[in-house]
Amino acid sequence: MEDYKFLFKIVLVGNAGVGKTCLVRRFTQGLFPPGQGATIGVDFMIKTVEVEGEKIKLQIWDTAGQERFRSITQSYYRSAHALILVYDISCQPTFDCLPDWLREIQEYANSKVLKILVGNKTDRDDREIPTQIGEEFAKQHDMYFLETSAKEAENVERLFYEIAAELIGQARSKDGSSSAAAAAAQRQSEGSSIGLGSFSAKAAQSNCCGGLASGGSNSSQGG
Amino acid sequence: MLDDLPEQFDLVVIGTGFTESCIAAAGSRIGKSVLHLDSNEYYGDVWSSFSMDALCARLDQEVEPHSALRNARYTWHSMEKESETDAQSWNRDSVLAKSRRFSLDLCPRILYAAGELVQLLIKSNICRYAEFRAVDHVCMRHNGEIVSVPCSRSDVFNTKTLTIVEKRLLMKFLTACNDYGEDKCNEDSLEFRGRTFLEYLQAQRVTEKISSCVMQAIAMCGPSTSFEEGMQRTQRFLGSLGRYGNTPFLFPMYGCGELPQCFCRLCAVYGGIYCLKRAVDDIALDSNSNEFLLSSAGKTLRAKNVVSAPGYTPVSKGIELKPHISRGLFISSSPLGNEELNKGGGGVNLLRLLDNEGGREAFLIQLSHYTGACPEGLYIFHLTTPALSEDPASDLAIFTSQLFDQSDAQIIFSSYFTIAAQSSKSPAAEHIYYTDPPTYELDYDAAIANARDIFGKMFPDADFLPRAPDPEEIVVDGEDPSALNEHTLPEDLRAQLHDMQQATQEMDIQE
Repeated sequence: MEDYKFLFKIVLVGNAGVGKTCLVRRFTQGLFPPGQGATIGVDFMIKTVEVEGEKIKLQIWDTAGQERFRSITQSYYRSAHALILVYDISCQPTFDCLPDWLREIQEYANSKVLKILVGNKTDRDDREIPTQIGEEFAKQHDMYFLETSAKEAENVERLFYEIAAELIGQARSKDGSSSAAAAAAQRQSEGSSIGLGSFSAKAAQSNCCGGLASGGSNSSQGG
Repeated sequence: MLDDLPEQFDLVVIGTGFTESCIAAAGSRIGKSVLHLDSNEYYGDVWSSFSMDALCARLDQEVEPHSALRNARYTWHSMEKESETDAQSWNRDSVLAKSRRFSLDLCPRILYAAGELVQLLIKSNICRYAEFRAVDHVCMRHNGEIVSVPCSRSDVFNTKTLTIVEKRLLMKFLTACNDYGEDKCNEDSLEFRGRTFLEYLQAQRVTEKISSCVMQAIAMCGPSTSFEEGMQRTQRFLGSLGRYGNTPFLFPMYGCGELPQCFCRLCAVYGGIYCLKRAVDDIALDSNSNEFLLSSAGKTLRAKNVVSAPGYTPVSKGIELKPHISRGLFISSSPLGNEELNKGGGGVNLLRLLDNEGGREAFLIQLSHYTGACPEGLYIFHLTTPALSEDPASDLAIFTSQLFDQSDAQIIFSSYFTIAAQSSKSPAAEHIYYTDPPTYELDYDAAIANARDIFGKMFPDADFLPRAPDPEEIVVDGEDPSALNEHTLPEDLRAQLHDMQQATQEMDIQE
């Protein structure tokens, strides 16, 4: 088992082609993928970062292409600690869709989720959305704001490190219930919800009814 | 935007219910090109969960001849004089104000912790998309009261509902059931082959109370259930014990509507394309190419295989439907049963109800805010029974009176509806695979069997939902490290390769 203090789930949304996958891959793998190949079989990426001396595991989820026809599953938004809404600074329509995305976020995500607006592709010289406009939009909707270039690796590290730092701050804050991060941390520690991945460990631990249950154990293998 | 859609698919799946989503995921997982459509703007069809507003809107929706959901009606109840001490008094307005906090299932289910679905979720690694809540209590009705059935060994010893002698008898009986089928099968049990489980139980000279425990809650039998079947069901219960929580059961966080979405996510991760709010207007079989031609939103799509939920395609419009499941859904500001059953602000409890003759049964699932399906202080009661008529309220009347007549449950909202199933197959639909509508069952065994069966017919030799690798194990396309010589790599990539190999090794060891 890896050693980390916190695990945070970060999800990305925004129109197709704004560079969500590129941001994730730039950050987690240090790569900028050429072309627009669909990311078959890749679900989320993991990177462990160190912030303020704490090891933080970031689980960064991509949309799996379901944004193409505006068909993202609600469950995608569930239990996210932070949500990155991305647009392309050189493509007005991707900015114009932001209110639609916000509506969806409001509908399905935890109301206390940390929201960050990201204008990507600052390397492009055909900018259509001035920085100030993006900033204002973010301010209006109570979001953090950052412009990035996945291609030039500009602000990408900063984006994720700042999210990690903010989430740690929330998780540690005494007024725990006010943030999604703290609530989730609490929930995990209370053990009130169960992920099936933890199956093998759990099964091994519980011996309260070992005699009775022995017939049915080991029928499946945890991940 | 719609023009981006490719025109050729191995598989087009219509409807995003549980069974269809399973099939779509399984197809995509083995590399088939999949298009998954739903004319609704939400996932899950009749397997979906709704917010409070959305449920009312869904129940208000006009019923067409082929609609699977019908006979719907709902009522808001004004509360009698509130006790002023209540921190929050609930009424229609305050419930609707929290609409978004509800996940109200049309077809709620409870999962056996070692059941088909849980095994499938773990085996396929789809479990990473879902969280679960262990069911707190399995209950039964005894002398008109709802009491907890002791599940684990420690439960049996701690329970106050049984005497010491009863505890011994129950343990002895359950141990015998657990050993049944192995070599140590004694003559005693052989003699009961071909007879009923109830006869066997009576022959063990257990008390009436233990008999109720076993028949109502553990084996979930009726008086005519065969000995073998009863044994099997008891073993199923026992085999799911001790895995998570205190009972053998799980409920998905945020409702069962999450489950089809988990399969859809896997399908999308493997390249499946998703379009909600998109109907299929016409389907024809092209006899030359043996492909289906689907017209949807003015576009023609070609598909080698088509799977559809009943009632979704134009050709299914002639199909006759008959009532299949009668449902009641209630929201209350107080839970059912005593304090013991609702520690910490409300239990997630399962209760199987029987009519007086034991011939009819219903499941009650009580959900509290611990499932993420309702706000704190409110409780959802899901009642499900096989349909007898087109009137779900009268089908359920005997059970609602058992539950509510003598209880002080403060019901704020009540609704009834029918889930219908087709009674005949349309001849025009010969080559289309139709999934079965939700059947009356506690877990998803029948739905999974149905998905497996259809998948097997389309892709006979393929593996059904093999394990999807974890993100750490994935080598992204075009970057297969083994294709390169390690020594030609720059420093940082070499380190990365090394890490990956190490990770793979560790995995092997774990397995």
